[in-house]
This record gives sequence, structure tokens and C-alpha cells, in this order.
Amino acid sequence: MNGVTPREVVRTLLVLVAVVILQFTVCLNLRIAGAHPDLVLGVPLVAGLVMGARKGAMVGFVVGIGADLLLPTPFGLTALVGSVTGCLAGLVTDAGFEANPVLLTPMVALVGSAISVVFEAALGAIVGQQQMLKADLASIVGVVGVSNAVVSLPLRRVLSWASSRDRSPWRSAIVGGDQA
Amino acid sequence: MPRPRRSRRTLTTLIALVVVSIALITIDLRTSTHSLTSGLRSVAHDVFSPLAGAVNGIFNPIGDFLAGAVHYGALQQENQNLQAMVGRLNEEIAAMQYQSDRHRETASVQGLPFVSAYRTVTARTIELAPSNFEADIIIDKGRDNGVDVGMPVVASGGLIGQVTQASHTTATVQLITDPSSSVGVQFGQKASPYYGVANGEGLRRDLTVSFVSANDPIRRGEILFTNGLAGATFPPGLPVAKVSSIRRGSVQLSVSAKPIANLDHLAYVSVVLWEPPT
Repeated sequence: MNGVTPREVVRTLLVLVAVVILQFTVCLNLRIAGAHPDLVLGVPLVAGLVMGARKGAMVGFVVGIGADLLLPTPFGLTALVGSVTGCLAGLVTDAGFEANPVLLTPMVALVGSAISVVFEAALGAIVGQQQMLKADLASIVGVVGVSNAVVSLPLRRVLSWASSRDRSPWRSAIVGGDQA
Repeated sequence: MPRPRRSRRTLTTLIALVVVSIALITIDLRTSTHSLTSGLRSVAHDVFSPLAGAVNGIFNPIGDFLAGAVHYGALQQENQNLQAMVGRLNEEIAAMQYQSDRHRETASVQGLPFVSAYRTVTARTIELAPSNFEADIIIDKGRDNGVDVGMPVVASGGLIGQVTQASHTTATVQLITDPSSSVGVQFGQKASPYYGVANGEGLRRDLTVSFVSANDPIRRGEILFTNGLAGATFPPGLPVAKVSSIRRGSVQLSVSAKPIANLDHLAYVSVVLWEPPT
């Protein structure tokens, strides 16, 4: 299915708003080695896996804009990173790569988040924010990668629900809502 | 749908999103159009602030629990220290401790001797470092309370940073440890001071002080104050940092300095209602 239904849009927006709220409330209080989890970088990766490259890019852009409204980094930077990483993660699905989602999803979230962090810092430096490369990237990569791997499966279920016709996020996962 | 056509749609969408993102970044970074994005952010902060307060009220106990699990070792050590402390205190003092600490913190922020010449607004920290890449805090006072971009922010002890964004109800404060922060400082005797620039190196890291000549009489433990030179972005005389190490070079000294204010505990801060000259 390549079209986007109104139901899908509303559900996906609800999920993205919830993610942004959780990110800027709960996640900011969970600090390890000075870094906090970053769900905003994990959502496009999982969305790409569940919905494909095109929708993954769109989800990455929207959640990135939502985060950019509340972040001190250049406006549009997180949206740019989300668009690209969402699309790249979606290429895994679009290419027909078959693997157990229970293994594939956390793996893509872990590696993809690490790449996203470095990509964001490098892009920041390119647009004049050299201080972003001075941050403790090792800690950020570790914390963001592991935390996104941990939440990737629940996130996959919720995003599967958002892109399916099922009423319950848990039912969509059981009956294969990932194929929406 | 044939695969090549689908791939083309994906590529077109990605290119469109990348172009829009780059346009937004350009708008944000250009001085002439920055007000558009800062206005959007201001509205977003005003809308989000009460929402975040409500969500934090629900989730903070859970967050505290998880943070406790993550920092178990440190908490255990802290617990032992606290037990030793409790042994030295009587029950009455222990019962009053939490409340009196908060009162003392607020009072000390309000009565900072080095900012007595300026009007100040006391604010509460509502978010610490929303981005992993920058050292910022969000405070619960904004333009409605007279807080504006460029104003210095202090906590008991000294300067902690500067307001970089202000909405009606909140403001973002860039800490002096942020890698893009630099503060003009002076040291030595007041009559004939020496000057340098204290640069941030990231959260929980000491500042580095540049432009200190090898002949300048700086020593460990010396306190650096804002210099307030013409065009400075801070008023003069605010304590910034204490020199923690000096390494001698042939031309310049390599100086590190620890911020005087404890940047790990910024429950309350004070915004100095002083605007840098334009």
C-alpha cells in the first residue's frame, strides 16, 4: 500500500506528538554519562522499517520538525537527519530484505541511532555549529543507540498500528500489521 | 506498482524533504530571517511548557525510579554518606532539612552580592540540556517577566550563562560550559587587570581560558570576573570561574578554570535584567 489514508495520518501524528512529549519530559530526566535517550532519532528508523522508505522519510521529517521547535540546535537540522535516516532504514524493507523483526528492529535502531548521532553532529558542524562535534559523542552514541534499541520493538508495534486498519496497536502486531 | 516508479517517488520525496530542511536551516541561521523561526519556537515553548509540567507531574516518579536504578552505585554511596550525616543530626533538623535547603537556595539566589547593582528575576529550572549536543537549561520565566535574549544568568556563586531564546513564559539559557560560549574575563588587580576569554568545553568540563600571555601573573585558585569591556556581552564584575590548572607555553599559558557556580544543581537561578549594548 503506497497511498496515505486520513486514518493513517491521524494515528501517525498522534504517535509522533506522544513521542515528542515523552522525549522532552521523561527522557530528559534519564541521564547516563551526561547523555539522555533520543527517541526522536529512533522513530524514523523504526518507521522506515515498518512503513517503507518514503513514509519513513516523511515521519522523520515531521517528528524532526516537532523536536526542532523545542531544541536550541538549528531549526530544521533534526528534520533533515530524520528524513535521511528514515529513508535509509526504509530501504531495508523496500529492498525485500527478510529477517526476523525481533532481531532486525533493535539492530537497525542501535546502528542507525549511532549513525544518526554522528550525522547530526557532522551536519551541525557543517552549518556552523562546530561545538556539536565537541560534545561527548561516544557517550551520546552509546546512550541513544542502546535506549532506541530497547524501545524499538514497542515502537514498532505502535507504528504498525498507526499504519494499519486495526483498532489495537497490539493486535496489529499479532496479525501482521507491519505489512500495511 | 512497478518498482522503478516507486523508487522514483521515494527519491523525489526525500529530495523535497531535504531541500525544505536546508531552507529552514538557512532561514534560522540568517540574521535577517531568524525572527521567523525564533517566533515559531517561542510559540511552541509557550504551548509546550504547561503540557510538559503536567506530564512531568505524572511521570517524574517513574523517571526518578528508573534513574535510581541506573545510578544504583552512586546512590548507594550517597546513601552511606547520608546515613553518616543523619547520625550527626538530630531528628528535628533532619525533618526540616529539605524545606530549609530550598528556602536557603532561593534566598541565596535573590541576595547575590555581585548583582546587587542590577534588578534580577528569580526563575526555576524546568529542563536541563534538551539537546545532547549543547549545554542549555530552560527556565520558567520569559518575556512576560522582563527576561530577554542576551541577559546574563547567575546562581549562588557566580555567572552560569546567558539567555539565548525567550518566549512569553520560558527562556533558554546557554550555560558557560557550552562549547559555543565565550566570556570576556579579567584577573589580577582591579586597578591594572589582565584580560582573557573563557571558553566552554561541554557539560561538566572546565572552561579553557585563551589569550593569556606567558608573562601574565595568573595563579591557581585565582577568580576570573567578567571584564565588561566596551561591546562586552556581560556586565563587569560577575565571578565566572576559578583557575584550576595552568600549563606554561612559550607564548601563551594554557589555563583551565572551574565554573564557580555549581552547574549540576541549578534548581533556581537569577536572570540579571541587563541587556548587552547593541
